[in-house]
Amino acid sequence: MTSLLEVRNLKTYFHSDGSVVKAVDGVSFDVRAGETVAVVGESGSGKTVTALSVLRLIPDPPGEIISGEIRFAGRDLLSLSEAEVRKIRGNRIAMIFQEPMTSLNPSLTVGRQVGEPIEIHQRASRKNAWDKCIALLHKVRIPDPEQRANAYPYQFSGGMRQRAMIAMSLACEPELIIADEPTTALDVTVQAQVLHLLKELTRETGAALVIITHDLGVVARYADRVNVMYAGRIVETGQTSEIFNNPKHPYTVGLMNSLPRLDGDVRFALQPIEGHPPDLANLPSGCAFQPRCQYAVDRCLAKPPELSEVNPEHLAACWVDLNVTA
Amino acid sequence: MSQPEPVLVVEDLKVEFPVHGGLLGGRRIGTVKAVDGVSFEVNPGETLGVVGESGCGKTTMGLAILRMIDITSGRIVFDGEDISTLERAAMRPVRRKMQMVYQDPFGALDPRMRAKDIIGEPLVAHGISENREAYRERVSELLEMVGLDVVMGERYPHEFSGGQRQRIGIARALALRPTLVVCDEPVSALDVSIQAQIINLLEALQDELGLTYLFIAHDLSVVQHISDRVMVMYLGKVVEIANRSDLYRAPKHPYTQALLSAVPMPSPDAEAAREVVLLEGEVPSPLNPPTGCPFHPRCSMARPDCRETMPVLTEQNTGHKVACHLY
Ligand SMILES: Nc1ncnc2c1ncn2[C@@H]1O[C@H](COP(=O)(O)OP(=O)(O)OP(=O)(O)O)[C@@H](O)[C@H]1O
Ligand SMILES: Nc1ncnc2c1ncn2[C@@H]1O[C@H](COP(=O)(O)OP(=O)(O)OP(=O)(O)O)[C@@H](O)[C@H]1O
Ligand SMILES: [Mg+2]
Ligand SMILES: [Mg+2]
Repeated sequence: MTSLLEVRNLKTYFHSDGSVVKAVDGVSFDVRAGETVAVVGESGSGKTVTALSVLRLIPDPPGEIISGEIRFAGRDLLSLSEAEVRKIRGNRIAMIFQEPMTSLNPSLTVGRQVGEPIEIHQRASRKNAWDKCIALLHKVRIPDPEQRANAYPYQFSGGMRQRAMIAMSLACEPELIIADEPTTALDVTVQAQVLHLLKELTRETGAALVIITHDLGVVARYADRVNVMYAGRIVETGQTSEIFNNPKHPYTVGLMNSLPRLDGDVRFALQPIEGHPPDLANLPSGCAFQPRCQYAVDRCLAKPPELSEVNPEHLAACWVDLNVTA
Repeated sequence: MSQPEPVLVVEDLKVEFPVHGGLLGGRRIGTVKAVDGVSFEVNPGETLGVVGESGCGKTTMGLAILRMIDITSGRIVFDGEDISTLERAAMRPVRRKMQMVYQDPFGALDPRMRAKDIIGEPLVAHGISENREAYRERVSELLEMVGLDVVMGERYPHEFSGGQRQRIGIARALALRPTLVVCDEPVSALDVSIQAQIINLLEALQDELGLTYLFIAHDLSVVQHISDRVMVMYLGKVVEIANRSDLYRAPKHPYTQALLSAVPMPSPDAEAAREVVLLEGEVPSPLNPPTGCPFHPRCSMARPDCRETMPVLTEQNTGHKVACHLY
């Protein structure tokens, strides 16, 4: 099956105070039509920067896409002009951010904002855009959409704002939606509502979904495949059930073991990953996880491991074979 | 075996905030009942977990118990002493025994102070140490206790990672040898891999020092792991309180049931086998709470009386209390 999105060896760096922050350092992954891919990883591991790179939204300066390829539906996004990118962004690729308050314009009604992409990209009349917007708000379960469309963002609850963002992202029936921590700021019960809706609607429209999250429960519940990031690289990728049942990278294993879980045995102490994430401007030699890794051998200090096949659908970047070591 | 005296008894605690509005925000337009008649006890050496949605009054309750904000009514009995009406000066010796660990390890620490001074500050403020030597020794002991190297005491907050900063916050809270520590979302700002470090540290310190915790968090898995008993709040009220295993295995209140069902489990196999109950509707505004049971607008089991009268918290089985008309 061909991929909708192909990212190859993407490097996005930031220049700050004379040092270089390698926020994304050689990332490759695919998103196939209609699937849900989760991206997990420590704070600062490059999840958001990867997403912003795909959308060509990296502030330059201080940021810069150093190299790589981002192919969307067969076209290389990195070689397009800004005008051409604008035709894709918000239209064929939509983004949902963590904090809807920062991405919604506080001085425009929700209805105008949800309708705007339709006016711009589909050249709809304001009346048509409005009708479509009401239908979308209805779809994301905003009660009384005709009246609520006239409200301003601050008059919505957090959950309603995030649902309005989803409506906006769906407006042009995108083929790909990238959701960056779409529910982190929301309560557990509202989180479940919003994610369920997002999943249901992408299933209905056939859109692919990339969901960035730190919640492994969200991954288990919604994702078909997972990319695990650490210090600007993907260290493990594969089908969700495979990654949970047969993790191969020590960071992924550590992540799973450090979680308290509702179905777990509470009598035992948690097994944390010792130490703390590295400074991206001053990475350790070799594998970036090596200083925290209980399995590290000399080779890990010498050279960073590349992703290699565990099986054709499951890749991990580690020099050590955990099956042999453990 | 006789029951030990509770460390903390809270009776019908209420905390209200005036809400101002109008053109210049000067007119009082209403009252938020942030904590609305909360009663519970905490026994020595135990951890009482507190969960509930954003804005349900968890932080306000914690601050009120420590008398860091004014209470509207109710009683707080700490170590057998009613502290609800104590004046500032009378509170001072009590305050040494009750401390708080905050959510935000970044905001809570003074950026211009070295770690060792941040940790030692309460000792100075309460005039604890006999001399400089005793002071230095205590600070080193505290640094080691939370797993930090003594030389790290020389550094400033920005030189530490989030987890390390939280360790400093914990060391500072323990400086005065408190008996009760209110932990307000102590791990929610941390990475998953670091959360476990801090949870294990809090558990080890509890064993070592016999601490009693009031542990506030929105992560139900974390609360399950660390708590002996768990209290569920909704819009300023306690809707359920029980032993950990009773609450997680046999939740009674429809809100507790929905809350547990909403938590996705980090296991694709378990998730595939699970039926998820989704709540409809929005969390109501505390400025304009619903009549009767505050949860009734979102409750699939609501009956007419739920709209009219607030159910009282009543004991169902030993130690398992629930406020719901269904029981
Ligand atoms: N505008 C910027 N200027 C300088 N550095 C930046 C900028 N944006 C991101 N970075 C750096 O890039 C790295 C990766 O950041 P990114 O936001 O992608 O992390 P993340 O994985 O999304 O983390 P989180 O889980 O905290 O959202 C970080 O070290 C960050 O400090
Ligand atoms: N100083 C204050 N003045 C007015 N209202 C306040 C004040 N502090 C809290 N509130 C209100 O009281 C209610 C309870 O707030 P509180 O911070 O205790 O909730 P919480 O359960 O800790 O929420 P979270 O999980 O978001 O931390 C909220 O409606 C809040 O807006
Ligand atoms: Mg991010
Ligand atoms: Mg709070």
